Amino acid sequence: MVMPKNSQSNNRQLVRKLRISCIIGFLVIVIGGAISIPFIYESQTLWYKIGVDKTMLRAGQITGLLAVILLFVQIILAVRGKFLQELFGLPSLMRWHRVNGVLVFVLVLCHVTLVLAPEGFLNLPIGMKYWPELVGLILFLIVFVMVVSSLFRQQLGFAYIRWRTIHKSLGYLALVLVAIHVLFVSESFEHSIPRTGLIAAVATVVIIVFRVKTAALQKKRKQ
Amino acid sequence: MKRFSMVLLALLFLIATIQPVLAAARVWELDKGHSNFYFSVDHIFSKVHGQFNDYSGEIRFDPDNLAESRFHFAIKTASVDTNIAKRDKHLQSADFFDSAKYPLLTFESTKITDAGNGLYEVLGNFTVKGQAYDLVLPLSFAGIKDHPAAKGKEVAGFNGKVTIDRLVHKIGTGKFYDLGVVGKDVEIFVSLEALSSK
Repeated sequence: MVMPKNSQSNNRQLVRKLRISCIIGFLVIVIGGAISIPFIYESQTLWYKIGVDKTMLRAGQITGLLAVILLFVQIILAVRGKFLQELFGLPSLMRWHRVNGVLVFVLVLCHVTLVLAPEGFLNLPIGMKYWPELVGLILFLIVFVMVVSSLFRQQLGFAYIRWRTIHKSLGYLALVLVAIHVLFVSESFEHSIPRTGLIAAVATVVIIVFRVKTAALQKKRKQ
Repeated sequence: MKRFSMVLLALLFLIATIQPVLAAARVWELDKGHSNFYFSVDHIFSKVHGQFNDYSGEIRFDPDNLAESRFHFAIKTASVDTNIAKRDKHLQSADFFDSAKYPLLTFESTKITDAGNGLYEVLGNFTVKGQAYDLVLPLSFAGIKDHPAAKGKEVAGFNGKVTIDRLVHKIGTGKFYDLGVVGKDVEIFVSLEALSSK
């Protein structure tokens, strides 16, 4: 049976819309699930906060988790898998990647401010026993360097190839550090469901990166 | 006449230098590895124990010269350790010690009295959050002996317990006490070993 060209195009559009809807739906579910963690698996630190302090700490935890999800999305966008390229087109993916990067930085900034404020900015968690928090500080610096160096690469005089190599390396380092930070800093992630969820999310990102990179390498070899 | 003046001056000099040496009580250096300021406080039904890991102290003690004996301790509130890092950070916050504003708890003895049976009542000023309070710290003097591990040194031991009302000392506003979470009475256990050359 031969379908008319118009109908084929309509079908393709429908499949595209369906795929985009699935991606958006999946993201909404993941974000919803992450936001529910500070409520369902409330940390003991939250038990001992009252009033504004409690609101700030919970908001800080939520912004932190949002930043984590967007960081995962950021890495998936950065590797530009065939599936996403076909769906959105390369320029859209790169635009999304840039906007998402700034959003991650803003969320990280909010997270740091809201989490530290209840204990006081003069009472910072510094020292060996606060190593998971210090991993968070390193992450904050990495995200800051990545965003600033991307936005002002030319003004800062970074050569593209060198910048790209460093940017990529820092991105993968951030993925590892964010998993360590969340797993060890948050009491909510001592529970098996959030812990498993996070590990599964990191594993998914790693698998996607690995598959895209392997496919790209095979394509290069064939050429 | 000149000779007499010289002798008199030499005598005065001797008296001036020797007298404080004779009068001062023996100086003891805190053995920080074997001393500490422990505390415990109620948490709903259980007791939470903690200690301070950073402090300094000055001990001048002679059982035969209590008038010149003194105890001085300065404890860094940021060194509070209850074995849970986040709880320690909360204790350092304005909810409790407010370590950024008030980094030290100090105790300065003003009078030591012998209560018998090796017990000494050390009256002093206990300064918390910049406010001084009278506090009697009963210290049980364990004695003085040659240090079994350090040649040429003597070791003195003191142990004491005192209970303070943290709300009187403004360590917390009472909100966690009102919630029935953190008790107001804090048991403090002071355990000291001090060293001095023979």
